[in-house]
Amino acid sequence: MLKDFQKFGRDLFLAGLNSSHSGNLSVRCGDRVIITRRGAMLGHLEGRDLIETGLEKNDSNIILASTEIRVHRAIYKGTTALAIVHAHPVHAIALSLLEDEIIPLDSEGAYLLHKVPVLSAEHTIGSKELEEKLPALLKEYKIVMIRGHGSFAVGQVLEEAYQWTSCLEHSCRITCLTHTFKYNLQVKDTSRYRRW
Amino acid sequence: MNDRHRALGRGGLGAVMGAKKLKAIAVRGSKKVSVADAEKLDFIVYEAGKWIKAHPITSQGLPEFGTPVLVNLFNGLGVFPARNFQASQFPGAAKISGEAIAETISAGRQGCHDCPVQCTRLIKTPHTGITAGPEYESIWALGPECGIDDLGVIAEANHLCNRLGLDTVSTGVTIGCAMELVEKEILKEGPTFGDAAGLPQLVKQIAYREGTGNLLAEGSRRLAGKFGAGQYAMQVKGLELPAYDPRGLQGMGLGFATSNRGGCHLRAYMAGPEALGVPKMVDRFSTGGKAGLVINQQNINAAIDSLIACRFINMTVSEEYFARILSAATGVDYSPQDLYRIGERIWNLERLFNLRADLDSSFDTLPPRLLEEPVSEGPSRGKTVELKTMLAEYYRFRGWDESGTPLPKKLQELELEW
Repeated sequence: MLKDFQKFGRDLFLAGLNSSHSGNLSVRCGDRVIITRRGAMLGHLEGRDLIETGLEKNDSNIILASTEIRVHRAIYKGTTALAIVHAHPVHAIALSLLEDEIIPLDSEGAYLLHKVPVLSAEHTIGSKELEEKLPALLKEYKIVMIRGHGSFAVGQVLEEAYQWTSCLEHSCRITCLTHTFKYNLQVKDTSRYRRW
Repeated sequence: MNDRHRALGRGGLGAVMGAKKLKAIAVRGSKKVSVADAEKLDFIVYEAGKWIKAHPITSQGLPEFGTPVLVNLFNGLGVFPARNFQASQFPGAAKISGEAIAETISAGRQGCHDCPVQCTRLIKTPHTGITAGPEYESIWALGPECGIDDLGVIAEANHLCNRLGLDTVSTGVTIGCAMELVEKEILKEGPTFGDAAGLPQLVKQIAYREGTGNLLAEGSRRLAGKFGAGQYAMQVKGLELPAYDPRGLQGMGLGFATSNRGGCHLRAYMAGPEALGVPKMVDRFSTGGKAGLVINQQNINAAIDSLIACRFINMTVSEEYFARILSAATGVDYSPQDLYRIGERIWNLERLFNLRADLDSSFDTLPPRLLEEPVSEGPSRGKTVELKTMLAEYYRFRGWDESGTPLPKKLQELELEW
């Protein structure tokens, strides 16, 4: 398990999807959650950086767990997810500050994600508001953006949640580039994805 | 006691008050407290509140379990001393942990006025009724330090200490010391490790200086010294050590040794960076860089203590917040660097006081056990505190000479040259 956390943590950092200390990963094992340590560097995870705590109940390890533990727990309790990747992808965050939902323009994004909702909250880190709102959206969508903060992606394994994160950022980079070029878009109308 | 349940226990304040026949100090305010910039203060408090509500220590661990949340965690790391520091793990830790309290004797929670954390545990037992505590340090001192894993007895002994004006840590560690003296047959009669039934009575005997309690009332240093066995007193500068085995937390060892008031965990809480990742996780077995971290913690904590601010909040928000709060409250601009300087002045002044009281560098040390006896098992196995290297660095970084005396240049810099 440590190898998986190390692999995807490192990839998230090297791909620029997280800054040095941002983001967190978790997996659900029955009624236990294994989550990265609060303040861990995802690019350099060690054994001490994986914290096991309860899904329903707190125990003493809670004080070492990621600040987003309450959101991870709520997602596991409200969805069928077994793995969660939380990242801070730069282009996706930029678009989340402009849009209420992100509609990928590229084929990969359109095929895989269709539409990514953007959720606003007064408090965006370790927030009770997100704990309440996010699970419902992640029942419907693979990945959701928190405005100005980052993404939460779910999967059955870490690789799956990592893929949605990587794919979203890739799509958002393309969208940002097309906006920068200011040419007329030569793609079909994407507004139908808004109904996804 | 403050606010009914919070004990100003350490360092002998109760004894000083008793000697002066001072029972209590009551404070009553009749005017409203005003601040220089209320709007700015509100904004900073709001921003700090965001972190306090988000951070797992202040939003979940402390509100749900209180400080006993540390019991299982530190036992697992092998830094939870047992039987007068003869071991660094305690087999009965789970029975006296924060989780165990929550499941057995918990009767709700409480906190200081307006505090969002509410870390105080209310408990209910047949011998205490509804009361607060015991906190992490008290659980340890009256429990594992004495080889005891009976939560009810620990709670009762803690309650008695609070009512009788005894410091729970010094009481427990002195009893633990006596137990080891009995175990080693240095003391002919006295308490034995694991004797839960006798603990409450012994606490009373210490308070009233009756029987064996009369010997123990002198504290561990005088108790062990009386029998020529000072090495079994787990104290620094006469103050008994708290609930961390520094052989598994090197910086904590340096912090204990250099604390101006003796064996205290609160001058430099190195368990923060060494075990809790506050503000960042560092290698707990390494000595490199620890002197600098200890100095910074001692300085900033001295300043924050002067603000009468809670240390748990300090685990969540940085000194930047405290500087901004102080600026907004007083109307005088303070930077975090100003707080460090204020703290450094306090620290050096305390040091000068100690030197005048003949507490020189020979007191900047630890009990021989921690320097010479490696931990026998568990995650800290084979470790001792490597104090010598860290201490030399500490003096140099402090701007003190090799004997731990502040150099004139440092005192001039701090405007303390008198």
